[in-house]
Amino acid sequence: MDFASRFSRNRGALAGAFVILLVALTALAAPLFYPTDPLRIVAQPELWPGEDPAFPLGTDSLGRDILAMIVHGARATLLIGLFASAVATVIGVGVGATAGYFGGWIDELAMRAAELFQTIPNLIFVLTIVVILGSTLENIVIAIGIVTWTPIARMTRAEFLALRDREFVQACRAMGMGNLRIILGEILPNALPPVIVLSSLVVAGAILFESAVSFLGLGDPNVASWGRLVGDGRQLIRSSWYICAIPGVAIMITVLCLNLIGDGLNDALNPKLRDR
Amino acid sequence: MAGGLAVSSRQLAALRLLRRRLVQAVPLMLGVVVINFVLIHLAPGSFLELMTAENQVSDPATVELLRKTYGMDDPLWLQLAKYVWALLHFDFGFSYRQNMPVLQAITINLPATLLLMVSSIALAFAVGVAAGVVASMKVRTAWDTVVSVVAMFFFAAPSFWLGIMMIVLFAVKLGWMPVGGMITIGGPGIESVGGVLDILHHLILPTLALGLFYAAIYARVMRSSMLEVSQLDFVRTARAKGLSRRQVTIGHVLRNALLPVVTILGVQMGTVLAGSVVIESVFSWPGIGSLLFDSVSSRNYPVVLGIMVLGSLVVIAANIMVDLLYMWLDPRIEIR
Repeated sequence: MDFASRFSRNRGALAGAFVILLVALTALAAPLFYPTDPLRIVAQPELWPGEDPAFPLGTDSLGRDILAMIVHGARATLLIGLFASAVATVIGVGVGATAGYFGGWIDELAMRAAELFQTIPNLIFVLTIVVILGSTLENIVIAIGIVTWTPIARMTRAEFLALRDREFVQACRAMGMGNLRIILGEILPNALPPVIVLSSLVVAGAILFESAVSFLGLGDPNVASWGRLVGDGRQLIRSSWYICAIPGVAIMITVLCLNLIGDGLNDALNPKLRDR
Repeated sequence: MAGGLAVSSRQLAALRLLRRRLVQAVPLMLGVVVINFVLIHLAPGSFLELMTAENQVSDPATVELLRKTYGMDDPLWLQLAKYVWALLHFDFGFSYRQNMPVLQAITINLPATLLLMVSSIALAFAVGVAAGVVASMKVRTAWDTVVSVVAMFFFAAPSFWLGIMMIVLFAVKLGWMPVGGMITIGGPGIESVGGVLDILHHLILPTLALGLFYAAIYARVMRSSMLEVSQLDFVRTARAKGLSRRQVTIGHVLRNALLPVVTILGVQMGTVLAGSVVIESVFSWPGIGSLLFDSVSSRNYPVVLGIMVLGSLVVIAANIMVDLLYMWLDPRIEIR
């Protein structure tokens, strides 16, 4: 298909997609490789990577296998990124579509709301929500969604503004179609490509967000996401800095590859917006 | 163009902009207060219960007295109205943990955060713009590739992790930089030149950790913006009238290409403030970060609310400055 060929012409995007696929498979297969609790103590503490072949990435301050924690952490990190991006996309598309389609005071109100959420220092807001409503995965996902929907809303609104008076929409109106059907069935599919690109980038942003929340010790205590592993290793940077370094590299590679995929989607879905 | 009339009309336009932005800021601030107020009152366990538990107050009469003093029996809208009214008089409430007014507790810590913010943005702007200009002038060469690869990495690295890794390398291994904090204990006083240098020395790593992420963004935006502007007609005209490529790039393209970067700068101000809170925790930087964590975990809500309100104010003020900068860069723009 046209989409696939245009996406695969971007070699970086292809490499990114390959790595993310690998990370996703690892996340799915985590229980197969490491069926037991990754937070279990298995060896002597602070084994450096390569010191013991049984623990290729070494062990942390408590003697837990770092590779096992990374593999299990992939699951938490990816899921949080995907779901948070989904929340942001639903809110952003909802607000943006309504604002762009109806215009007038609804538009004004929606854009003021977007401005409001851009003004509140986002991570501080997330921390407050998480602390007040409890450090569960769902709350973290919702909180990240709440602070990252504004660019998606602006993009959707701009697309709707450009499309709402086009002939095919007027034809739908003349046929007596309801607003909801026009928005969801007619305009939205045409407005979606740039929104998809943005949502894919929000996944990467959400992963960075979650890692910061967990790093600060406010993540879900039952989940060993990569950010939390960095935070746990912080006390030992003088003797065993690798405990911090390894999960950080995992975050960086994942976010990097997601960004590459976003670039590739951009090339494939809206050639007009290249190099933006 | 340089006539006195033109200057004064631009100053007038700037003043009009300032007035409009200040008027717009009022509903924005009200929105910030309402959202956070409602959020905090969604919390299970009232502020009063927590406070009495912490201070081990069990006497029902005292609890009742506290209830009255804090207006806990009032309906939510009345509590909100009272809070907004108090805010208008710069009364942010009282913090029992610090045993001082909330406003004072925040303003003690705010300058360190602002310093970190300003230095990070300055670094990001300088490095990002320079890298973007280089990449666009040497487009599709090794220079261009190096800039985009480095930018890609800094755009993906979590800032707190970058900070820790820099501590490991530059402070622990090489010993060039302090591990954290803002001043050397027992070092020169802040008033002396040595003291200022000491603070700058402590500022380097946190600034890099926070700023390089934004530098990466600005480099990418600047590059594509330069390439876009350099295709415009007026650039061709400038070249045709005999200016060198360098003169055109610096004198004509650069200024116009800065506009998108300035736009992003404004939009991201809130993110930078929040990001500095994380970096503060990595480097034990004495800003509002530690106050926020303490207040959030002890549910000291007046302080949390106060930080949100003041933080949003900082963002609004920074945005107004960005708007003025925007106007200065592009006189055609009459901001909405």
